[in-house]
Amino acid sequence: MIIIGEKINGTRKQVAEAIQNRDANFIRDLAARQFENGASYLDVNAGTLPKREPEDMVWLVETVQKAVPDATLCLDSANHQALRAGIEKADKVPMLNSLSGEKFRIQGVLPLACEFQTELIMLALDDKGIPKTSEGRLDIVRSLIEMTRAGGLPDEKLYVDPLVMAISTGTENGNITLETCRKILKEFPKVHLTCGLSNISFGMPLRSILNQAFMVLAIEVGMDSAIINPEERELRGMMMAAETLLGKDRHCLNFNRAFRAGKIGPTPNA
Amino acid sequence: MMKDLINAIADMMEDEAMALTKKYLDEGVPPLQVLDAYKEALAIIGKRFEECKYFVPELILAGEMMKSASELIKPRLTPGSSGDETKRIGKFLLGTVEGDIHDIGKDMVHMLMDINGFEVRDLGVDVPAQRFWDEYKDFQPDIIGMSGLLTLAYESMKRVVDGLQEMGVRDKVKVIIGGGQVDEHAGKYVGADAWVTDAVAGVKYALEWVKS
Repeated sequence: MIIIGEKINGTRKQVAEAIQNRDANFIRDLAARQFENGASYLDVNAGTLPKREPEDMVWLVETVQKAVPDATLCLDSANHQALRAGIEKADKVPMLNSLSGEKFRIQGVLPLACEFQTELIMLALDDKGIPKTSEGRLDIVRSLIEMTRAGGLPDEKLYVDPLVMAISTGTENGNITLETCRKILKEFPKVHLTCGLSNISFGMPLRSILNQAFMVLAIEVGMDSAIINPEERELRGMMMAAETLLGKDRHCLNFNRAFRAGKIGPTPNA
Repeated sequence: MMKDLINAIADMMEDEAMALTKKYLDEGVPPLQVLDAYKEALAIIGKRFEECKYFVPELILAGEMMKSASELIKPRLTPGSSGDETKRIGKFLLGTVEGDIHDIGKDMVHMLMDINGFEVRDLGVDVPAQRFWDEYKDFQPDIIGMSGLLTLAYESMKRVVDGLQEMGVRDKVKVIIGGGQVDEHAGKYVGADAWVTDAVAGVKYALEWVKS
């Protein structure tokens, strides 16, 4: 599974302060820790007001890629100026987070993705909000993929997010997401799937248990990437276990290697 | 006094709560008293939420039980008893501000304020400042509540408050902001009268304000 590390997000207070104060050490540390824990992509979100977001994004890109040159950046913004600034600063073509059916994003993000041929996260929502049904979400995805194809972006570059809503607010929310995944892959087999996994457990106790269970269920329906906190050890373990059990790990090599390296299971020297 | 009903509601026992509600109403217990039992139960539920025993699903279910009960009670209220099912203690205008579509906290606030006797007008999510101002003029609320999870929401909240100032009504209305990341700094920046990070705390402020 492709892990997109979620922690460098300026909508979180601590990160916002680090960005404000240009605390490079804080950001570098966050980047390195996530990468060491298996994140091959690092989401970077400046979270700041439009006027300063481009320069904050550039600083983040600079700081993170110096710390972890082998990671790919995932630029998280609705502001096309911030995205362009980030793309131009990045050493490697970054992923863009995200396109949706919102007019603002179609106008701002889609052209950039096509111009720079970036990988692109695609959200199944639009200006009317988040559809309650899997069919509603699929409709949005269909029209967006029509646009990306017209723009010359191959399906393989797309990471479609079927949207994860809190189970605490709707008993069927888990099923709707899983069903949306199945439908998307049936119609667009070449795309990747991704999601903000921990949304599922918002407003509930024992969030990590719910996140782990949902990870397993999502992998079963073809989720092949996720935006998570890579430092959640148990979540990683459950993720690898699910992949192994579903035949994605020949001779269980990945799982056992991760075990021997102390990457999963009870913490060594605990 | 109807301890069994209060406990059934507070313990999330939907069917039992409904059965007892019907029973008491059929026995001739004044409908407003039955409503009071629900209010007492909701106070217990609110406390358990504060203590992290209850979470979002329990609050939602509480709201549903309250709604079902109101549907039973409303038709039984004697006409002429203030023409409304309960006297509304104040008017509350609510919305998630422009640029933000997070609504779980807002919906919790809506429900708790309603249960506590406020007349609530909920503008939904991604609400532009102009709409807050227009609805203020139309609804004349005592309190405006603005919700937002993203830090960019503070700018939208500030716009609303600045507009109220320009309209010359800032001192006529109380403003409270809520969201997972609001703090004193945000409260000052926005110019709010109070800031909270959870629904129950927000309702406490509102109740204090209308009492004074």
